[in-house]
Amino acid sequence: MTTTTKTKTSSPLSRMMKRSEFTIGLVVVALFLFVLFTSDTFGSKYNLMNLTKQGAIVGVLAVAQTLIIITGGIDISGGAISGLGCMTMALLIAGGQPVWLAVVVNFVVCIACGFINGTIIFDLKVPAMIATLGTQTIYRGILKLLCGGNSVSFFEADGKTFIKVFETIGDYNVFGFLPILACIWILVAVIAFLVLRYTVFGRDLFVIGSGIEVARLSGIKVRKTFYLVYSAAGLIYGVAAIMFAGRILRAMPNTGDGYDMNAIAAAVIGGASLAGGRGAITGTFIGTLLMAVIENAGKSRPLGIEISDYILEVITGILIIVAVAMDMVKSRKKG
Amino acid sequence: MQDTILKIEHVSKFYPGVTALNDVSFTLNKGEVRALVGENGAGKSTLIKCIMGVEKPEKGTISMNYDGEWIVNTSAVEAQAHGVFANYQHVNIAPDLSIAENYYLGRQPKNAIGMVDWKKMASDSQKIIDKFEMGVDPHEKIRELPIAMQAMVTISKISVNEDIRIVIFDEPTALLENEKVDILFRFISELKARGVSIIYISHRLEEIMQICDSVTILKDGTYVDTLPIQDVTKDSLIQKMVGRPATDIYNIEHFEPGEELLRIENFTDSKHFKDIRLSLHKGEILGLFGLVGAGRSEIMRALTGVEKRLSGDVYLHGKKVNIKNPTEALHNGIGFLTEDRRADGCALKLDIKTNINMNSYDMISTGGIVNLRKETKRAQEYSKNVNVKTPSISQLVGNLSGGNQQKVVIAKLLCRDPEILIFDEPTVGIDVGAKQEIFKLIEGLTAQGRGVILISSYLPEVMGLSDRLIVMAQGKITAEYDKEALKTLTEDAVLRMASIED
Repeated sequence: MTTTTKTKTSSPLSRMMKRSEFTIGLVVVALFLFVLFTSDTFGSKYNLMNLTKQGAIVGVLAVAQTLIIITGGIDISGGAISGLGCMTMALLIAGGQPVWLAVVVNFVVCIACGFINGTIIFDLKVPAMIATLGTQTIYRGILKLLCGGNSVSFFEADGKTFIKVFETIGDYNVFGFLPILACIWILVAVIAFLVLRYTVFGRDLFVIGSGIEVARLSGIKVRKTFYLVYSAAGLIYGVAAIMFAGRILRAMPNTGDGYDMNAIAAAVIGGASLAGGRGAITGTFIGTLLMAVIENAGKSRPLGIEISDYILEVITGILIIVAVAMDMVKSRKKG
Repeated sequence: MQDTILKIEHVSKFYPGVTALNDVSFTLNKGEVRALVGENGAGKSTLIKCIMGVEKPEKGTISMNYDGEWIVNTSAVEAQAHGVFANYQHVNIAPDLSIAENYYLGRQPKNAIGMVDWKKMASDSQKIIDKFEMGVDPHEKIRELPIAMQAMVTISKISVNEDIRIVIFDEPTALLENEKVDILFRFISELKARGVSIIYISHRLEEIMQICDSVTILKDGTYVDTLPIQDVTKDSLIQKMVGRPATDIYNIEHFEPGEELLRIENFTDSKHFKDIRLSLHKGEILGLFGLVGAGRSEIMRALTGVEKRLSGDVYLHGKKVNIKNPTEALHNGIGFLTEDRRADGCALKLDIKTNINMNSYDMISTGGIVNLRKETKRAQEYSKNVNVKTPSISQLVGNLSGGNQQKVVIAKLLCRDPEILIFDEPTVGIDVGAKQEIFKLIEGLTAQGRGVILISSYLPEVMGLSDRLIVMAQGKITAEYDKEALKTLTEDAVLRMASIED
């Protein structure tokens, strides 16, 4: 039974406080302040810049993940696609091709991989989880075939100095404190936010996530939207590939490995529902920040205690469960 | 004196922001068939959940007489152990298991070495299937059955139990065709004869008058009255339920049909219908009646491009058009309200605003960018036009009552300003008040010169509202009645035409 409740028209502030992003945001701020005052190293400019750099790549992948999760899908091949794109660039450049061409091919490869995911999921009706588990293995396999299992560095023709563009992307700080990697993260997030908020495409993603039949009967071009969203994810993986190139200055057989689960976790912590129909870029952004702060905090010796990576992993896992469970309890109360 | 089997005393149940039940008290006797009526949101479903032990009331007690021992506020497991069973409104059975497995869920017959005795399970299930004249194989998976048959499975499942004391039926006939309703009623009489008490919930007051001994009325979570069935009439019941005098709910204004809007010819698909020809005129309500499986919905699904057809031509205003998918149907001015609003009518997880706009974003966007101001304005305007009862358009549609969900779907269709509206079972599971509002909406639509095709398996509704009525049986049109003929038409005559077999 459902009854419509009479609620007073709520103020923007109280509405904001009800959103799940808000709670997570408070947790991030509280944790940030706690570590800031209990650790000697955490607050340093160098460390904070490093924190945003660490978060940036997961953050970008999580944006793609959010778009897909909203449709009720999931993509665990994102890291592999980025790795493949990164390796393609490295090999082309090592083979004497110009950097611009390598970057273009990278995007073509990544978008194509995303598109293939979309086709397998929509046309062959393979559940997204299984489809991308399969393509993840395929893309990773192709990557290893291409490089023969070896790392390839982003060297200039001289074979000693790193390529300037990538070095800049990885190291340069705008105004001396804002890493380019973080700028890219913010840019990708802002664009995705605008797409979700202002475009028909964005609306269609939510409708599809709420029910494919509803979407189809409402005249939404479901097939086109599926192709588009997985290709858009591919485009974003292409961006991540360039970020990997900048950060590591090398394409490795395992580049991007293990990033997907963190990206999914960030989206889910930020309020995206794996059942589809719900998700927000702001939430994902905060979710990514939270994971980055936790990881960094452990290494910053809060209260003078050294926290091992293993414990951090356990904490992150607990966090994912707590975030989702809290949301479930809340929505059950409402329903 | 009759034995009291169930005592409900001062029961109150609160959800955040909502008082679902407020100090409700009444008793139920052994072997009594009691109707429970009230509008959606009156608290019927909550009360049942409390009786079944699924929900705990905040105040008051529910006590059950189990051979002289009073059991108070049972848990869900205890309730079933003491012979209390319910058939819920939404089919809740395991879709991937077979009929037999569903019947014996949790109490599978065992053989000598403690393994499940599949043979016995199948043969016992077959007996139940035969008793309920379902004509299906016990090994069939629930998912593969039509929804009406699934509903029969949930009903017949109750008879698997040996110790039955109280059975609650929540809208059992909403999905059933007429002959299955008779089987259900037989089952209820049989239970009654065994001394089982029944609580029967239905929006169909005719049914209640037919099979119940007495009726309890709830309104807005409070108890109104309990009366013997011979002391009430349909009108007096409605008045007590909605708190306002009842008018004949099918009494809407009709208009002189104008020029032809739509004509379909030679409509044939692989198995549901053959050689169908029908037309619809401006300002006309065309009723389409048939038993489940007659092919009514399938024709409309083919017309709107939801499903494929083998052959068939569609003419709009006399001009042939080619509609291959739902998008093209919308763009040709055909709005389709489907049978199952929860599955494909509305996006339950999204808010009213998105739901109302979702089939017409192209009309309020430029270059793929949505005009947010128009989006909000439109949602407000249309939800007001169809009178959606909600505090705000950012309310999730899943939180609305069935009637309000249906109004949201209608608002969505109206956004495209369609000339032709197809309503497939628009009032299933909707209370009397909301039904009446939907009929008023249909009246308003025809007043504007739109044509309406109304599909319903509920005869009084389709006979009461239509300007012209087409009856189908087994994929073919078997009768057509115009306005004059409808005046003197009896339900029996229509049912006869609907049950014609080749």
